[in-house]
Amino acid sequence: MSGDLLVIDRVIKRFGGLKAVGGDAGLSFSVPRGAFLGLIGPNGAGKSTTFNLISGVLKPDSGSVTLDGHNLSLAGAAKIASYGLGRTFQTPRAFPSLTVLENVTVGCDNRGETIASVALGRWRSAERELREKAREVLDRVGLSDRVDDSVGNLSGGELRMLEVARQLVRDPRILLLDEPTAGVDPTLQTKLSKILVDLHAEGCTLVVVEHNLHFLMQIADSIVVLQNGELLSQGSPQAIKSDEKVIAAYLGSEHAT
Amino acid sequence: MSQILLSILTFGCLFSVLTLSLNLQYARGGMINFGIVAYFAAGAYAYAIFTQEPPKGLDQYLFGFGAPWWVGFLAAAVASMLFAIITGWPTLRLRGEYLALTTFAFAEMLHSVLLNERRIGNGSVGLSNIERPEIGWMGIPEGYVYAGAAIILMLGTALVFRRLLASPYGRAVDAVRDDETAAQAIGKDVARLRFQVFVISAVPIGLAGALYAMITTLVSPDLFTAEVTFFVWMALVLGGERTILGVVLGTLALVGFQEIVRAIPYESVRTAQLAKSVEVMLTGVIFILVLRWQPFEALGRRSKKA
Repeated sequence: MSGDLLVIDRVIKRFGGLKAVGGDAGLSFSVPRGAFLGLIGPNGAGKSTTFNLISGVLKPDSGSVTLDGHNLSLAGAAKIASYGLGRTFQTPRAFPSLTVLENVTVGCDNRGETIASVALGRWRSAERELREKAREVLDRVGLSDRVDDSVGNLSGGELRMLEVARQLVRDPRILLLDEPTAGVDPTLQTKLSKILVDLHAEGCTLVVVEHNLHFLMQIADSIVVLQNGELLSQGSPQAIKSDEKVIAAYLGSEHAT
Repeated sequence: MSQILLSILTFGCLFSVLTLSLNLQYARGGMINFGIVAYFAAGAYAYAIFTQEPPKGLDQYLFGFGAPWWVGFLAAAVASMLFAIITGWPTLRLRGEYLALTTFAFAEMLHSVLLNERRIGNGSVGLSNIERPEIGWMGIPEGYVYAGAAIILMLGTALVFRRLLASPYGRAVDAVRDDETAAQAIGKDVARLRFQVFVISAVPIGLAGALYAMITTLVSPDLFTAEVTFFVWMALVLGGERTILGVVLGTLALVGFQEIVRAIPYESVRTAQLAKSVEVMLTGVIFILVLRWQPFEALGRRSKKA
């Protein structure tokens, strides 16, 4: 199947009287199935707000977001996640009362989470598989030696990787990552870059907000540039790098090729 | 002396059920319930109404079904659960202190209704025709049977809660309390989980209410004031959140202190009044000391995470 997986159609969101996203006409762009899209723009361009509008943390004032035929503007955040949309946050979020491993296993859609299954004790066998899977994912993001640690002992970069792991274990169809390399050391960045490339190869659609353009331009296959909540430009990394408008608004002349 | 011990054990375990439920709602579910007495009252009144004889003569209450004790217990569980559903549904989306205020208001509403509505609970007089079941069982004195029932109810509650929380369900509940937004991002239905925890934890409170009515053979509005709510909160703070043993020890200590003070024989009304004031002051002092050193919580931690 091809075509667009995620369609953002004339979305407008205001905070107070100010338009955070959408300008007058509304923000529109679409993410083809299997794409690896980079979302860039100056601070305050509305990148994280766009993520929040897609994932249901915020509701658009007008316009619609559609994921594979599901109208996300009407669904709650949990429902949207159950459609196969995963996301991380600009400030990494973890569950401090759970261990590192539990922080990942909690991500699984789990039939053990109903009262009936607890009453019947049916969750135990599934739980073993979940732990196995969670360990594999933690190994993949380089946290295999922190499995039983408390999340309070993790560094900022490790928390970011933990959040990625929690989404990976869910096998998302589309994953939105908000500044995944911020606070992550170069070794982990290389690891992360490989994870994302592998995920993409496995068929996962990716949308990545990132200021680390060196990181992003190498792995993304198309770029959307936002400015003041509006679409400034859209195209291949090469085309974006030489786009006059983008250079003026965001990249600065040293990035021009 | 053994009489005091028995009543400490009985009421200590009985109120531990309330503290355990509050612990589940607050420490695990992140919900502040300042109306816990209402669920206790709902259970006690339901037990009374279902087991008492139909009204006769000058009785002003309308309902009495003369049902056996176990029907009363079932009714108590259902009544408390229903009250939790009615009060939880509109309020659980509220955060922290707003939820505290609304649950408090609901409890006060129930209290006013019971105080003024003679047709349900005989108004301020209460219901006093509650019959104790015949439990002079195998020669064991009644007092011991009730203490045993309270212990069983407490252990049952602790076991059920432990089992629930040690499962993936408990993990999801913890995640929701830690960070709602992040929990939603992994598909957790925050409203559903919170509502379920609220309703589940109301059931043991209702059962404790039924046992309380059975032991005292009387339910009246002044037994179910906000003082009960604060008592349970105090016990929870004393025992320290998050450990089952700590919660139970905290409650036992608080009940124990009150029972001992109550049991001292006074020679005059004046000394009794004086003693009452001293009790309140001493409670405060002990409270501060316990908060400073948290002995019950430490003990509980050494055993197991609740």
